[in-house]
Amino acid sequence: MNNIEADKNIKRKGKKVKIDVDFEGKLSFGERLKMRVASFKFFKDIVWFIFRFILLLGISYVVLLPFITKIAGSFMSADDFLDVTVKLIPKYPTLDTYYYIFTENKYLEALTNTTILSALCAVVQMFTCAVVGYGFSKFKFRGNKFLFICVVFTMIVPHQTLQTSMFMKFRYFDLYGIYQFIYKTFNLGSLYVKNVASTKIWQYPYFNLINTYWPLAILSFGGLAFKNGLYIFMMRQFYKGVPDELEEAAYVDGSGVFKTFIRIILPLSVPMMITIFLFAFSWQWTDNFYTSFFFTKDGLYLMPHIVQIPKTLGKIASTMVNGATYQAAINNTCGLMIIIPLIIMYCFCQKFLVQGIERSGIVG
Amino acid sequence: MNSEAKAKTVPVQTKKRRRSKSLDRKKARAGWMFVLPFVLVFVLVYVPIVVDSVNYSFNEIVILQGGGYDLDFVGWDNYSYALFENPDFVQTLTTGIQQLIFDIPAIVVFSLFMAILLNQNMPGRTFFRAVFFVPVILSTGIIDSIDANNAILQDFMNSNGIDTGAEAANAGSQIISAIDIEQLFMNMKVGTELVEYVVDVVNNIYGIINRSGVQMLIFLAGLQSISPAIYESCTVEGATAWETFWKITFPMISPMILVNAIYTVIDAFTSSSNTVMTFISKISSETLGDVRSSAMSWMYFLIVMLIIAVVAAILSAYVFYQRRD
Repeated sequence: MNNIEADKNIKRKGKKVKIDVDFEGKLSFGERLKMRVASFKFFKDIVWFIFRFILLLGISYVVLLPFITKIAGSFMSADDFLDVTVKLIPKYPTLDTYYYIFTENKYLEALTNTTILSALCAVVQMFTCAVVGYGFSKFKFRGNKFLFICVVFTMIVPHQTLQTSMFMKFRYFDLYGIYQFIYKTFNLGSLYVKNVASTKIWQYPYFNLINTYWPLAILSFGGLAFKNGLYIFMMRQFYKGVPDELEEAAYVDGSGVFKTFIRIILPLSVPMMITIFLFAFSWQWTDNFYTSFFFTKDGLYLMPHIVQIPKTLGKIASTMVNGATYQAAINNTCGLMIIIPLIIMYCFCQKFLVQGIERSGIVG
Repeated sequence: MNSEAKAKTVPVQTKKRRRSKSLDRKKARAGWMFVLPFVLVFVLVYVPIVVDSVNYSFNEIVILQGGGYDLDFVGWDNYSYALFENPDFVQTLTTGIQQLIFDIPAIVVFSLFMAILLNQNMPGRTFFRAVFFVPVILSTGIIDSIDANNAILQDFMNSNGIDTGAEAANAGSQIISAIDIEQLFMNMKVGTELVEYVVDVVNNIYGIINRSGVQMLIFLAGLQSISPAIYESCTVEGATAWETFWKITFPMISPMILVNAIYTVIDAFTSSSNTVMTFISKISSETLGDVRSSAMSWMYFLIVMLIIAVVAAILSAYVFYQRRD
């Protein structure tokens, strides 16, 4: 009862009650400033602030220096490499390096092919990983733990280990002899016999998928391409954070599992999917492992293939004293030209990358 | 059968149970449908690739003239070749694994440190974050391999990354050089190995920064999941920042440390700048279809799996899991 009365009192006097917490009010401005500045905590904060800033700046410098030297080197002409005084800013700036790489190394062809390949893979991987991640996070079915261990396994086994057999698989592509079986039963053509050194050799029918988009498309579709295990893991963690009530409400309203996924879950996970798209796109873009054996220079011309010295510049470099440095600079320029589209993309989408992983809560 | 027996006794309950069971079954089927793309390609393409790869490591491959290839069973020959006959493999393997073991603590500690820094409120945080994640996107694959044999960046990335005093000769005014710092540390009597290790890490700072991008992201995510209420109560209790870190941040982030240690091993193991992997893929690409590379990489894989198991076993003893109800 007392409390209530007190409350009423306060309410009645509401406007009059005023608590003074202005401890510094009586001090002059100069003294207040002194109090704040002279305190140990303020000093410590300032020192820490400066130290942190310098440290971060220094490390940023280390991260960015390679790009800065590459950019500087790309504008240098051959004369700049002979001049000892030139360090970072070219004395005789030129666009020749860019020009010759663009024309002689068929940059545009590589750009279109790589864009098609990366976009295809990234889109397919984005959807596959979302779907598979959803399956792992929200459904309990027999064998889901085992399957998830399989996913982790694909993440751990490096693709270099499988390099030879992967090449063979897609060079002589057949699914457990199914195609061969169809080939045999429907008699689509003669099956065998090449007489090599008087021994009959069976020539199995196969698809040669080298130099097509198929190998990577198939791997992407299954979520087995480069680092896809990580994406599936990220999607799974993300969906685990989505409350079950959302889906239950949808089920009660009579929508099926797939409809719920498409209408409710998928729109929810757009930011996460953008993150995965960015990862997949940029890692596929700069990938030179798959491209080195799934695609040859004469077949499908991709970005990694443009890393070579253009003929005109090569002639100049071969006559120079320190031609090796010049050639390295040209190679760097090739690298720069490869990642220019990615840099542009990164400037706009950097926010998604950082937020995406934070939101995914790999934390568990 | 059980449900049938019960059906006679309590019919109402079974009706309910049966319905829920069928819903469960429906959901289980839907779950299979969702993971179907993975299962399909895994069984149809990936498993044969893995099996082939293991198979190749016991065989010799002969590419036929008419197209197609033939396998010749040779038993453990490929393995014994890699271990005893190839002059470089064992050496590359040991140095590679040594490097790997040394890199794990360096990368984990560095990325934890950077994540804590980047998690603090300060002007320009977005900019710094953007800069630190540049290597994650841009320094992979082809750029990595261009950098690896790059004359300009060579002196920047190799073990003499810090100023070794070579330039001090012409600069003249060089006050401090790495050698002096080394000397200073040596005189601190903390053990030569430790000093060498730290100097190595500092010299390799470029590589370490380049490789700790994703780890930093994971740590950042972990740091942001710690409830601010805990820190608040710490300040109320009068804990210093140092105590707060060791008593709160560190235990709360310890599951991330485990994840990151394993990720670091896997990442180092699968990256293209890995010396052992470069060695192996060079052998495989030099003579197309040399299956000795398969044998080598399976051996390497087993060793790395062993390292992962040991690391996981050691770290998981110290990991603290917050119970979430």
